[in-house]
Amino acid sequence: MQDEEELGPLPPGRHGFSREQVEAHQRERLIAGLAEAVAEHGYNAITIGHITRAAKVSRRAFYEQFESKEECFLAAFEIVIAHMGELIGEAIAPIPDWPHRVTAGLRALLGFLASDPALARLCLVDSLTAGPAITARFGEAIAGFRPLLEPGREERRSPRPLPDSTEDSLIGALATLISRSIAAGEAERLPQLLPDFVEFVLMPYLGPDEAHRLAREAR
Amino acid sequence: MSRVAAPADQRRRILRAAAALVAKRGYQDTTTELIVRRAKVGYATFYKHFADKEECLLALFDEAWGRTEAAINEAYEEQPGAWPQKAAAALRTLFELIVADPLLAKACLVETLSAGPAAVARYGAGLKAFDPLLRPGRELNPRGEQLPATLEDTLAGGVLWVAYQRLIVGEAEKLPQLLPETIEFVLSPYVGEEEAVRVATEFLGSATEPA
Repeated sequence: MQDEEELGPLPPGRHGFSREQVEAHQRERLIAGLAEAVAEHGYNAITIGHITRAAKVSRRAFYEQFESKEECFLAAFEIVIAHMGELIGEAIAPIPDWPHRVTAGLRALLGFLASDPALARLCLVDSLTAGPAITARFGEAIAGFRPLLEPGREERRSPRPLPDSTEDSLIGALATLISRSIAAGEAERLPQLLPDFVEFVLMPYLGPDEAHRLAREAR
Repeated sequence: MSRVAAPADQRRRILRAAAALVAKRGYQDTTTELIVRRAKVGYATFYKHFADKEECLLALFDEAWGRTEAAINEAYEEQPGAWPQKAAAALRTLFELIVADPLLAKACLVETLSAGPAAVARYGAGLKAFDPLLRPGRELNPRGEQLPATLEDTLAGGVLWVAYQRLIVGEAEKLPQLLPETIEFVLSPYVGEEEAVRVATEFLGSATEPA
């Protein structure tokens, strides 16, 4: 198989790479191997053997990079979250007004999750079930969406401030729905939810009519 | 009292032990051995009731969720007044049940997510139980049918997320303080913010006082 050829072990000895380069390369391969193994079996069912087999590196190489499967998972999670953050950042950067930034950010997020259901699953399904340290990290990561929503508070016509928990509830609500769709094998259909999500998220800040108008526009 | 527990009692003890263990150690680290030891029953008794640990946890979830669903439906039905009051009463009851038994709530709402596809599917189906309690809110909204089709799912997800967040940090007792904002969060899309705040204020503090 072509893939196996490409992913074969680095020949020992004189391949001209520095130790650092080999190690960085192995780390990447292990992370990709973990993603592959998680996609196939789910995080809780995989062993370090699954990861090293998928990455085609030795068990020793694994332990040179990571102390545990959990640490390897966290490394993978961080990479995907960082990538998602970049995609969203790029999508919203050119847009001046807040409501359209939210739409663009959500569009980028849902598009990414739909384009790579395996990574979507790793981030939004396995991370919720992979033990307390990873679940805690998940909570922090999704709280990273707060700054995208918070400027909406300044757009409100009502002088009454929204409850402090508004952003967390909105984000948690979307995360729960997204995670369920992915767990049900429907990641590809997530972009269809964009208008619903836009309306839901903008409503507390802009009121129902304006949120509805912007949701229709997002179709 | 007879020395040999009746089967129903054995089953209850096993489920009770499983809930406590799963809430404390997580599903993966809870073994059948730990469950039988804590429940003070033999392996044979365990296997008479459940094929394996997964079946035991699913039974735990089904029974707890069945009771919860019945209680929130009852609260909804019995609450006098219009839909906003009824929905708020259902939310209050949900939070009260979680606070009354945080271990069971944690086992069901947090740990089921790590207990395999069958448990994850149960959790998803559980969210659907909110649908009949929320959907009538659309009738109070002039644009009710045009509200997002996923609104009820999303709101139910938001409510469980609030509970989930408190349960993972072991602060279930703080949930009643979050009741007013949760009521506001759930009612606003249907009846508008002003009415939602009014109803939420009515329920302020009523979660902590005995009814």
